Parts: sequence; C-alpha cells; structure tokens
Amino acid sequence: MLRALALAVLAASGAAAETPLPFDLGGAYALTNQFGETRTQADPQGHAQLLFFGYANCLNICSAALPLMAEVVDMLAEEGIAVTPVMITVAPEQDRIETMGAPLAEIHRDFIGLTGDQRALQIAYDAFAIAVEPLFEDPEYGWIYSHGSFVHLLDGEGEMLTLLPPVLDADRTADIVRGYLAPRG
Amino acid sequence: MRYALPLLLSSLALPALSAERTRIQVTGEIIDTWCYYSGVMGGPDAVVGSAHHTCALWCSAGGIPVGLLAEDGTVYMVLKIAQDAGSASGDTQLSLAAHTVTADGMVYERDGLNYIVVSEVVSDMDIVTPTHEDYGTVPPFSFPEPK
Repeated sequence: MLRALALAVLAASGAAAETPLPFDLGGAYALTNQFGETRTQADPQGHAQLLFFGYANCLNICSAALPLMAEVVDMLAEEGIAVTPVMITVAPEQDRIETMGAPLAEIHRDFIGLTGDQRALQIAYDAFAIAVEPLFEDPEYGWIYSHGSFVHLLDGEGEMLTLLPPVLDADRTADIVRGYLAPRG
Repeated sequence: MRYALPLLLSSLALPALSAERTRIQVTGEIIDTWCYYSGVMGGPDAVVGSAHHTCALWCSAGGIPVGLLAEDGTVYMVLKIAQDAGSASGDTQLSLAAHTVTADGMVYERDGLNYIVVSEVVSDMDIVTPTHEDYGTVPPFSFPEPK
C-alpha cells in the first residue's frame, strides 16, 4: 500500500515538476477554418493540439515549424496519441478560407487553418502573446511577416500545456509532447 | 502509520514544488538556434561567431528564436531580452546576433530545456569568435551576391 502510494505520488510529481513559464498563455478564441466552420480553442474531437501562428505560404520559420508539427503528429498517431495540427494565420489577406486549405493539406492532411476578422484574430494573438509585424513585400509571395514562432501544445479543451521551440527535431519534440499526453498506466 | 503517510506524501511532493525559476548571470554567445540544433549549415563550431553572423541575422529576422550558448555549452532559449518582448527579430535580438554577452536574467527549466528571460545585458563584447578565419561565410549563400 505504502509503496503503491509512493510510486503514485512520484509519478504525479514527475509530470508537475516543471517550472511555470513567466507568462500566462492561452485563452478563448473563435475563428473560421478552411471549411468555413467556426472553431474555438477546443478541438471538436477532444484531441490535443499543436498550435502555431504563421501563414501558409511563409518561407521562413513556418517552413520549418509546420512540417515539424506534421511529423510529430504522425509519430504520435502511430502510438495511438491523436494530436491535431492547427495554424492561426498572421496574414489574413493571404490566408483566406478558400486559399489556405490546399497548402496546409500538402503539409498534413489533418492540418487546420484558422482565420477571421482582425478583431477575432487579435483576441487569439493577445491570448498567446503573438506580435505580428509586416517586414517587406515580396513581389512573388506577398507580404513577409515577423511573428512569434513557438509551437504551443494545447489539450483537447484548448488549455495550454507547454511551449515547443520550433528548432528541435521531431524526436525531441515528440518526447516532450508524449510526456504530457501519454497515458499513464 | 496514520501520521506517517501524510508526511511521506508531502515530502514526496516537494520536488514539484521546488521547481522554481532561478536568477543567473551568464556569459555566452547569442546564437541562431535553428542552425545550431539542426546541423544543416555545418557543425556547432561553424554556426557561431563571425562566420555565421549574416545567417543569424536572417534567421532571427525570419522568426527563429535566438539562444544564448553559455561558456559551459548550455543553450538557453531566449524568451525575451530587456525591452524587446519577442524571442527573435526585435532590434535587440538583431543587434546582438553572434555577439558574446553577459546577461542577467531568470532561467526556467521546463521539458528538459532551459528558457531565459534576459532582464539586462550587462556587457556586450561584440563578435569575439573569428570563425570566418576557418569557415568563411556559413552558409556561403547567406551573403547575397551583388547583382
């Protein structure tokens, strides 16, 4: 009995022994996906989510972060851990409902792209402390933006679990995600 | 036994409660974490210092979080430097690319990573590692050819 209790507490404390980050991230938002449906911070199927702020044709950090998210989603799916990759656009004039689906689907079939009017997007940016700044206009690809680049791990309800630097490899990133989502037996 | 159990439980829970932020002063280089971790531009010695300054600017401007590579090899993921709230592309992050600095800040250990919020850059020693002598410009295409 005593040993079982000790083991249970050790397991629980292991999951909780992370230093809280110095800011409170996450919150409610309501945006529109590439299918024209309203989607909030909660995943309709209750899956965990990898959330990134970027734009579908971004050639900078998004071109690393979005494929990383896709690879991690596939790795975890093989273990029975369902995670939905989600991108909230920072370039709504480029990522429209009718245009953002195709490039995201090339990265992963389950990718959800979210856009909305400026007010609705700003609520999401504020919740995750995302600063968006237009840098310059590329004649071929349109405006290039500077924007926050961490990937956010959310649970099925949309609660923030942790940050994921987009520079880690898929194995390391999956390890971190697994630590929050893997069923504890 | 009835009293021992709560004591045991509270003592076992202590590691979770003791995971706190730590204030440090650390000296190291402000690095481009993408090129450092990915290895795509070369080994760790090639993607620091003068050889990689231009690429570090491009990466930071593109949103790659900057890091602080301490003298002991520890990498701190930078969440903020002084008045610049972002992890990349701010004026401070760009001006310090590839520079060796002494920074004062708070460290947060999480998920096996070290995050730092730099409250003050105590000293900026500029670019002190002349890696271009060994590696040239890394990568060579980071310096656009004039047309």
